[in-house]
Formats: sequence, structure tokens, C-alpha cells
Amino acid sequence: MDTILQLLALIAVITGTFFSVVGVVGLVRLPDVYTRLHATGKVGVFGVVLLLVAAVLWAPLGWGKALLLIVLLMVAGPVTAHAIASAAYRLGIPMKDAVRDDLESERKKME
Amino acid sequence: MVSLRSILLLTLVYLALTANLQPLNILTGILLAVGITAVLPHPRQKLRWRRLPGMVLASLRYAFILLYDLLASGIQVARIVLSPKMPLRPGIIAIPSGCTNETAVALSAHAITLTPGEMVVEIDDAGVMYTHMLDVADAEQDILAAQKMRRELLQKIL
Amino acid sequence: MATILITTLYISLTIHIFLIGIAVWRVWRGENSIDRLISTDLVTTLMLAVLVLISLILRDSIYIDVALGLGALSFIGTVALAKFLADEKMF
Repeated sequence: MDTILQLLALIAVITGTFFSVVGVVGLVRLPDVYTRLHATGKVGVFGVVLLLVAAVLWAPLGWGKALLLIVLLMVAGPVTAHAIASAAYRLGIPMKDAVRDDLESERKKME
Repeated sequence: MVSLRSILLLTLVYLALTANLQPLNILTGILLAVGITAVLPHPRQKLRWRRLPGMVLASLRYAFILLYDLLASGIQVARIVLSPKMPLRPGIIAIPSGCTNETAVALSAHAITLTPGEMVVEIDDAGVMYTHMLDVADAEQDILAAQKMRRELLQKIL
Repeated sequence: MATILITTLYISLTIHIFLIGIAVWRVWRGENSIDRLISTDLVTTLMLAVLVLISLILRDSIYIDVALGLGALSFIGTVALAKFLADEKMF
């Protein structure tokens, strides 16, 4: 039983580290602010949450706090991403090689 | 009269934080929760007992759909970031949420933003969500169908 | 089995500290203010990951308390800073 839990924790740690690496690689490689937000949001939602799943499975106590932190990250991550994206759009930071922009045409229609 | 649901949730949060199940600690948690709900009033809606089983089932189904979407699009975004050419077609598309309830609009926007590859930038008064996507072309029909299903589930929950 | 897990945790800790270095470099050399804000948020998220890893290595749950405080404070700070950058006022 203990070995199975340790194996599951091992898989969770490896996957979480992989997604953290993917998030930082995305931060360096992607072209503009909006696409970078997609990559960094993934570090919060996958990387830390999978490490916390390992903590729930393996650590002897404190799994209530770990579950609470998972809920906090799941609720707070999208709110942060939306706040930053909305601030960037209101500051007028352009999108690089965008295919379509429905919000821009809607703004033009309103004026 | 304070809402029973928020008292229960706040007490559970207190017990998870202290990790201590003695009766006196539980009593402290309940007293703190009652105090918080009395100081910060919350618009309460009636709990209808007859709709409770359907509500719980719909919530579970909503959570499972959310988890599945999370995994599928997470793998897709990882593939986009790690592939050497980076096949990006970013853009902002309008998704009508179709809900009148403000809580339902907020929950749909939360679900859309939580899945990687989609991010709500702006919501107007009619409840249209302007969503930034990494890959616009391939998935617009899928997104609209997913939003329709989400709306039906949310109408059952709320 | 436990030694493999401990070794993996140490390797993961090293990788995460290296990633924090890259994110701090992005804060220093950002294109605009929003870009720097995104990198700052990423630094705090990676610090959460480091705290959870330390709690797993030392098997002590007090570090998860620290992570809870850091998570809540960084959430409020990032949202307030984004609103301040866009509107030039807080309330």
C-alpha cells in the first residue's frame, strides 16, 4: 500500500515538474503578452497542483491544508490571468500576428 | 437568519486549516463562521431540498467535464509550446454565454479561463465573453457546443 | 522506493530553482510593464512549488502554511497591481 502511494506521488512529481518546465519555456518562446499568459497560467494550474497532490498522497499530515491550497489555486489562477489580460487590452498592447479580433470590431461598431 | 451553507463551508475551511477535531475546536469554528456571516451579509437563496439530488449529480458531472477539458487542452498546449515551429493562430473570438444569471456567467468564464489555451479578456453587459485563444481556426464549433452543455448543467445547479 | 522518490524530489527542487532564475531574468529584461507583471506572478508561483517540495523533503507540514499565506497575498497583489497599471488608480 505504501509503495503504491509512493509510486503515485513519484508520477505526480515528475508530471508537475514537466509542466513547470513547459510553462517557463513558453514564457521565453511565445511572441506576445496574451499568448505568454496561457503558458504561465499552466504552471499554477498543473505544476503546483500536481506537487500538492503528491503532498496529499505521501506526507503524513497536513493534507487538509494541501487540499485548501489546491482549491485556492484553482479559483485564483483564472482570476489573475483575466485581470492581467484585461489590463493589457485596456493599455492597448497589440497582439502579434492575430488571425481575428472580434472585440476590436465590436469597439468600432460602438463608436 | 444566516445562510446555513456558508456557515458549513467556513467551518470546514477552519477545520482544514487547524487539523484538529476536538469538540471545543469545532465549536470555535462554528462561532467564527457565524460571526463572519453576520458581519459580511451575503445574498442568500433558498435551499430547495427536492432539487438537491439533481443538483449534486449535475455538480459532479460539471467537475468531471472540467477535469477532462483541463487534461486534454493542457496536453494540446504543451504540444504547441514544445514543437519547434510553434503553429500559432492567436485571436479573440466572441462566445455568447447565453445565461442571464450573473453567477452562471462568472462560472462559465471561470471554466473557460481555467482550461489552458482559452482566456476570457472582456465580458460585456449582454454576457458575451470575448475569449483569447491560441488556435482560433480549429475549435470554434467545439467551444460553442461545450458552452451550451455547460449552460444546461449550470441551470440545473443554480 | 523511498530513496528514488527523495532523489526525484531533490532533482525537481534543482529544476525549479533554475526556472526561478530564468523568470527573474524575464522580470529584469521585460518588454513592457505587463510582461514584467506576468513574470513576477510566475516567480511567486514557482516559489509556491519550491515551498511544497521542501515540505515534501523535510516531511513537515508547516511549509504548506507558508505556501498558503504566500498564495493568498500574491493573488491579491497581482490583481491590485494589474488594476493600478490599467486605470492609474486603486479604487
